[in-house]
Amino acid sequence: MIYLDNAATSFPKPARVYERMDRFLREEAANPGRSGHRLSVEAEAQILQARNILAKFFNVKHPERIIFTLNGTDSLNIAIKGVLRAGDHVITTVLEHNSVLRPLNALAANGKIALTKLDASKEGLIDPENVRKAIRKSTRLVAVTHASNVTGVVQPVQPIGRIARESGALFLVDAAQTAGVIPIDVEQDLIDLLAFPGHKSLYGPPGTGGLVVGERPQLVPWREGGTGFDSESATQPEEFPFALEGGTPNTVGIVGLKEGVEFILKEGLERIQNHERSLVRKLRDGLARLSGVHLHGTSDVAKSVAPVSFVVDGLDPQELSVILDQSFDIAVRAGLHCAPLVHQALGTFPKGSVRLSPGYFNTAHDMEQAVSAVREIQSQVSV
Amino acid sequence: MKDLTRYARQYLFAKIGEEGQRKLMSSRITVIGCGALGTVLINTLARAGIGFIRIVDRDFIELNNLQRQVLFDEGDIRENLPKSVAACRKVEKINSQIEVDAVVSDVNFTNIERLIQDVDLVLDGTDNFETRFLMNDACVKLGKPWIYSAAIGSQGLTMVILPGETACLRCVFESAPPPELTPTCDTAGIVATASTVIASLAATEAIKFLSGNAADLNATLYSYDVWTREVKSFRLDGLREVTDCATCKRYTFEYLTGERAQKTTTLCGRDAVQVTRAEPVKLDFAALARRFEKMGEASFNPFMFQAKLDGYEFTVFPDGRAIIKGTGDPAQAKTIYAKYIGV
Repeated sequence: MIYLDNAATSFPKPARVYERMDRFLREEAANPGRSGHRLSVEAEAQILQARNILAKFFNVKHPERIIFTLNGTDSLNIAIKGVLRAGDHVITTVLEHNSVLRPLNALAANGKIALTKLDASKEGLIDPENVRKAIRKSTRLVAVTHASNVTGVVQPVQPIGRIARESGALFLVDAAQTAGVIPIDVEQDLIDLLAFPGHKSLYGPPGTGGLVVGERPQLVPWREGGTGFDSESATQPEEFPFALEGGTPNTVGIVGLKEGVEFILKEGLERIQNHERSLVRKLRDGLARLSGVHLHGTSDVAKSVAPVSFVVDGLDPQELSVILDQSFDIAVRAGLHCAPLVHQALGTFPKGSVRLSPGYFNTAHDMEQAVSAVREIQSQVSV
Repeated sequence: MKDLTRYARQYLFAKIGEEGQRKLMSSRITVIGCGALGTVLINTLARAGIGFIRIVDRDFIELNNLQRQVLFDEGDIRENLPKSVAACRKVEKINSQIEVDAVVSDVNFTNIERLIQDVDLVLDGTDNFETRFLMNDACVKLGKPWIYSAAIGSQGLTMVILPGETACLRCVFESAPPPELTPTCDTAGIVATASTVIASLAATEAIKFLSGNAADLNATLYSYDVWTREVKSFRLDGLREVTDCATCKRYTFEYLTGERAQKTTTLCGRDAVQVTRAEPVKLDFAALARRFEKMGEASFNPFMFQAKLDGYEFTVFPDGRAIIKGTGDPAQAKTIYAKYIGV
């Protein structure tokens, strides 16, 4: 099987992730920080190390301000629902995934917030100047994806972060498609809230994610509960990460995530990025040569990440994806990819597109196979 | 005590008698599927005085049902009634002494046990193998007797299953035949009398069983062709003893755990549902095309088969997976799949 659905979740994971999780769950998986026994203390040390390594990875000054979550969606919900107050204005974009759009749409529909959705350029880019123009006095939050999960186009986060910072708004970045592939520096990019899944390019298991909370956001937790300390306090402690981490954490997953990040550090982010870029280039070039294939996003691979979306004349994306799966054993994703507004902007709503998202473990040969499969399908299916 | 007068001609038949009639009146049944077979079963058994009848069906009545589905009329279609509700209303007019429970629902591994656990006998009025295997699993697991019935073209089949005593459906049919070999009423047509005769025979077995005449139950897989009058009757005694049946010998219940359940996915933002077979098959597109020929336009290539029919667009893939456009409702998509592709 050729797996080209890494934008949904990376597969396979590095071997060390499997091995470490297996060993941890068998030998070390006590409840961290709850009990004073050796195993509990060790489990807590593992979680702490995971926080430290991620802090270094995203240049977070205070590791305790990285909280572990269930996935990217969970992180985004904690951030969005935690910082917004009645009467706030929020700026977001049409490029967002439903994990950003749906919480914001619901708050707007309830009359709690005012919402501005910025259009993207033909190349799929958000113009920072449009952010500046949309800023109001009441703008509390600017929420932007680091890269569209449909087109893969990377957004100018730093200039947008600067505009948000200057206006006093908070800057939330959805790094679902970028964390682990392109460098992210929350200080340099002026990011107040960074939401990332653990199971995509950070190579952790599903059920892991994180949220970096800078020092500016006043985040109200909606999940309260046991923290393993300060039990006499009637309400949730304000200290990070406990303020936002009630309940027994997913220790096994977090340990796997830590191992995934260590894999990235060992391989080198640049090398991973270069490999993925070369795959994307090969894929795009191959598909571009086929007549009747229309690629989305940018041909400048330096400005994008892995998802390569396209439509083929005369072929329903969903049908094409089933044929790739069943006749060629190539796993891809078709449809709207939970990002309806991008497809409206691209003119591919409601059928959507076919998305091929290679990952670090794919090869150039995989890309050739995928292109030749599309070519063969085209030749057999009368248009 | 209830008045027996209305059943006088029935219990006058010596094998039934007053005692048998009272047994019928305290009996409870579930009829799964309320089409050609189901309506005849329900009609007959309601009139016979079965005390409680649960009717389960997910579909609505269409004009082409009236040719054979005896409990429905044009008024039901105008009202756009679900089959089980229309049948229930009709039965209430036929016999006010009995209790009827109409369930508008797909029958699947999550709900079947609930639908049959409180009855004495389960009757098959379905149109597909998957649901029948599911019924077989659930009935064997709960020890519920059930009666298999099927009708297509001019032919019908029926068989009584007493779990633990007689052969079960999977002792006889180990797995469902490939879909291109299993015609459906919507692809091969049906003579109304085929379903009427077979359902009448099945209802007779139900009356025997519920009136205390289990010893007289027919122990065959019985096939009858109303057109040629050909009868085939396969004796089943002893079969259970020699098979290694996954269901009634090994108790694996693959259909009841959902392992072998068909799966549906509604496609985001589209009026379309993808149906995935539990067991991939290798479809013969040419055979499928011949079947569709008379009904609508169809075409195929090595990768997919496409057809337009009744306002739906079908795309079927070699392993039996299908995308059905024209509905966003998974239950309806399953119905359409069962009708035209077959499960």
